[in-house]
Amino acid sequence: MFYDLIPHLINGVALGLLFALLALGFMLIIGVMEVINLAHGALFTLGAYGAVVMMAPDGGFPYEFMQPYYDLPAIPRYVIALIVGPLLAGVVGMGLEVCLRRTYGADPLYGLLLTFGAALVIEEVIRGIWGSSEYYLPTPKEISGGFIFGDLIYSTYRIYAAIFASVMIGMLWLFLNKTPYGAVIKAGAHDSEMVRALGYNLKVLRLLVFGFGAALAGVAGVIMAPIWGVRPVVGVDAVIPAFVVIVLGGVGSFWGAVSAGLMVGIVVALTAAFLTDWSLLSMYLLLLLVVTFRSRGLAGKASVLEA
Amino acid sequence: MSRVKQSRRGFLKTALGSGVAGGAALFGPWKHNRVYAAASDKPIKIGLTHDASGQFANSGQAEKRGTEMAIAEFNEKGGVLGRKIESVWMDTETNPQTGTRVAERMITRENVHFLAGAIQSGTANAISQVAQKYGCVYFNTNSSSPTESGKNCHRVKFVWDGSGENFSLAAARNAISTFGKNWFLVYNDYVWGQNTNDATKKVAAKFGANIMDEVAIPVGTRDWSSVLLKIQQAKPDVVAAAVGGDDFKVMRQQVSDMGLDRKPAWINNQQDWPDVFGLGADAAFGVFGTTWYHYLDLPGVSDFVKAYQERYPVTRISVPGNVTYNGYIAMRELLRVVEEVGSTDNMKIIKALEGRTMSAADRMQHFDAVIDPASHHVQQTIYLAEGNAAPKDDTDYFKILSWSDPDAIRASADDSCSLESYEATPSYDQG
Amino acid sequence: MDYPTKQTKAWVTPQIVVAIVLFGTMPLWIEAVGLYQYLGVEVIIWMIFALGYNLLLGYTGLPSFGHGAFFGIGAYAYGLAQFEVWPNLWFCLAAAVVVTAAFGAATALFLSHRRGIYFALMSIAFGQIFFFIASKWTDVTGGEDGLLDIQRLPVEFGAMSLSTRSNVELYYLCFALFCVLVILLWRLTNSPYGRVLRAIKQNEMRVSFIGYKVSVIKWSVFTLSTAIAGLAGGLFAMAQEGAYINIMSLQWSGTIVLMVLIGGGFVSFWGPVLGVILYFVARDVLGAYTEAWLLWFGLMFMLLVMFKPEGLAGMWRDLLGTLVTRKAEPKGNPAKVEG
Repeated sequence: MFYDLIPHLINGVALGLLFALLALGFMLIIGVMEVINLAHGALFTLGAYGAVVMMAPDGGFPYEFMQPYYDLPAIPRYVIALIVGPLLAGVVGMGLEVCLRRTYGADPLYGLLLTFGAALVIEEVIRGIWGSSEYYLPTPKEISGGFIFGDLIYSTYRIYAAIFASVMIGMLWLFLNKTPYGAVIKAGAHDSEMVRALGYNLKVLRLLVFGFGAALAGVAGVIMAPIWGVRPVVGVDAVIPAFVVIVLGGVGSFWGAVSAGLMVGIVVALTAAFLTDWSLLSMYLLLLLVVTFRSRGLAGKASVLEA
Repeated sequence: MSRVKQSRRGFLKTALGSGVAGGAALFGPWKHNRVYAAASDKPIKIGLTHDASGQFANSGQAEKRGTEMAIAEFNEKGGVLGRKIESVWMDTETNPQTGTRVAERMITRENVHFLAGAIQSGTANAISQVAQKYGCVYFNTNSSSPTESGKNCHRVKFVWDGSGENFSLAAARNAISTFGKNWFLVYNDYVWGQNTNDATKKVAAKFGANIMDEVAIPVGTRDWSSVLLKIQQAKPDVVAAAVGGDDFKVMRQQVSDMGLDRKPAWINNQQDWPDVFGLGADAAFGVFGTTWYHYLDLPGVSDFVKAYQERYPVTRISVPGNVTYNGYIAMRELLRVVEEVGSTDNMKIIKALEGRTMSAADRMQHFDAVIDPASHHVQQTIYLAEGNAAPKDDTDYFKILSWSDPDAIRASADDSCSLESYEATPSYDQG
Repeated sequence: MDYPTKQTKAWVTPQIVVAIVLFGTMPLWIEAVGLYQYLGVEVIIWMIFALGYNLLLGYTGLPSFGHGAFFGIGAYAYGLAQFEVWPNLWFCLAAAVVVTAAFGAATALFLSHRRGIYFALMSIAFGQIFFFIASKWTDVTGGEDGLLDIQRLPVEFGAMSLSTRSNVELYYLCFALFCVLVILLWRLTNSPYGRVLRAIKQNEMRVSFIGYKVSVIKWSVFTLSTAIAGLAGGLFAMAQEGAYINIMSLQWSGTIVLMVLIGGGFVSFWGPVLGVILYFVARDVLGAYTEAWLLWFGLMFMLLVMFKPEGLAGMWRDLLGTLVTRKAEPKGNPAKVEG
């Protein structure tokens, strides 16, 4: 029994890191800007489609002039995809931030609603460009296929994705805590006067933070694409777990979100293995359980979003 | 003006009058008979209820190409009964609520003669209930839930796709001898998955399989790793999966990513062409069913493919598959029947369709098909296929393994169908 | 941004009369304007749902993103009461209301201590749980096939029996309930209870300092709005002659929020009504002309949130305000009007 459990625990940790990755962009935007970004899923999807165009000749743009590019080896193309996808999401995110400006200072519900509308629009635009059919994001063969794990086969890509997620989490933490930019961003979260006093333009700061958060959603899209596939509605699958992770972890807490991600991953993996028909529900039950006893999640701080 | 509108006005007078008087109002008979005095040369109008958004948007558009192609072909030959055929399409959004509203609108506002189109069973049911209420003939082109031609059948509804049970029967019979006795069942925990899984289990048990475990997977599952690990720990010979929609696409991706698509052997239910196309032959994993394939070695197939390509030169799906095929064949048959009975009267058409035999050559399949008069389900050839290791070209994903006679794979779910009587079905003719 | 502060003691206001006349005659003109009777039925049912929802969102400031689930539970409850217990209209509708309110009351126990985002997110979690159970429990709900063959039961008063089988007949049943509900809700929102709800929206803390048990009030208003959702759900089961799971999804729960806000639920009692009309007409008309109707609707929605967050009701009020100001000051200076 215990021997059987080990692969599932390891799988749960890998899954948990992916859940945390999904939530990073969401966390940044909600923590710093106090905007519940419902377009997170749509930006995630956009990142995935951006990557598909850079990876697959059949990515919706079968233009002749792209051919020399597609003749490049897979790894450089993958690296480019990993940049272009998030960039696309980031740029669209910045556009969204410009629209959002009009809601600052009002009930946070309006920010949420604006991004809800934006999610509809982005999804329809994606449908218009790429159609409704399924796309596939090829990955370099170095990170594809299965590998032997005891007497089981496990996905190489998942290990890569989990490591990638850990690196992203670490880098984001370093950025926020060990660089002057991070300090300004964190100050912006709680004290816009301070930011102004330090001589930064709050407008530009918010634009960049939102763009960065959107780009992080795009990164998650590129990483999850080979696991989930790419279709216009895939964003819904991203936004709901991101929500759960953030609430469970507590709004405004970096490590809260990461540990909530891991917790959700392990719980989902174990229920999926041993109580499969309840696996989707387990995430919500966990949330209810935790939030009933700790009303701001694992490590949440007070925030205007509660008003 | 149709009679229904007059009767509504009549009703209103009664209602308002009685409201004022405060007395009892006996509202007029609900069952309107929408019959015109005489047929005319006005166009025959067909309401297309294909999804363009929601989970089955892609398949919805594929069947739309099929139905519209059949309509266009008839119009090019001069229409039906000397009348032009018009189609009006509205997005049903893979959503029953929208299905109901669209069907109501089609019948009461657009005054369509017939309705056609469905992928998801809930939406199909919503449309068919409205159609039955008014008596409008409705073709369910592509929803393969066994309940469609079983307990949710209707006198006005005809079901053109094979059901999940047909596919299970076709696949399971052959798989035990080929792959082994130890079976592991996975299914989506909703009606289609549960029914299909029950059918698989029954056949598997009949042919002596040992069911190691059966796992219900919640709809909307995006992570299959735990289940895949569990399957590996159990070491079955065969995994029989009744998983549909986006869940299937996600499962397929993760199975192939772990390299589990060769061993154990996978038996999947139907794989719709729009769900596979564009993803390469790897996407077609395991053994699975289909009703038609564009490289079937039968006369007429290549002409049909060519006609499709001429009509839809810019579609991403460059060859027709089972979904488009079902849409096309269903619509063609409807228009033929209208021509044959010389009228758009619903009863005449229903009676002509019931028990109708369609020749194998005409349908580009291996066996004759027949519309079961008791369930309105088209009993047709089911093909078993697997991913093609030696494709002819970059659309040749499937290798057809075998085909089953409709008699051998008749779905028992069809027996639970009890159609409304002719008398209980309103007569309906938009003239 | 808030409702007019003036309270009224009237049971029937001019707006209510206008609404009753407008909706009471709708079956007479709906086809003339190019729509169809069933759309009217759907619109009036969603108006009932939206009015009840706005008690929560607009008046108390509690953004529930799981309300579609309660609408769905009402529909299932109506169907199951009809199949399993007693196929009588009043009984089945009462069952829809009571069962849904019971689920709502249980949910509210968890939600009534929450505010803002935590409230919103917990309501999503509950919505998902109900959706999930309905999809899994196919013996009861019919899963994605739906619970079918639900009857449009006749309205029975003693020996008298009125059919509801045609769309127009059903419409008038819904309309009658709509009228009753509008008047009751109007009174409720203008009662001391309604004032406390608004105060909670403004500042929960202060209300509790005054001595009100805020969580009890939040619990009661949540339960009340789910009861109304249950009524709407029961009527919707009649309209569709079936109950389907899709309505319980997060997408539809979001859609009701969208409808209420686009209409101006934050500033007007009538906001939800306007929003529902706009939503259904826009989708029917846009949907007939373009495949991407959601794109245009989404854009419209974004523009509204950006430039006129008070919604249609806010625009209407501005329009009236401009007219009134002009009347009062025929030579009034433009700057003043703008201000």
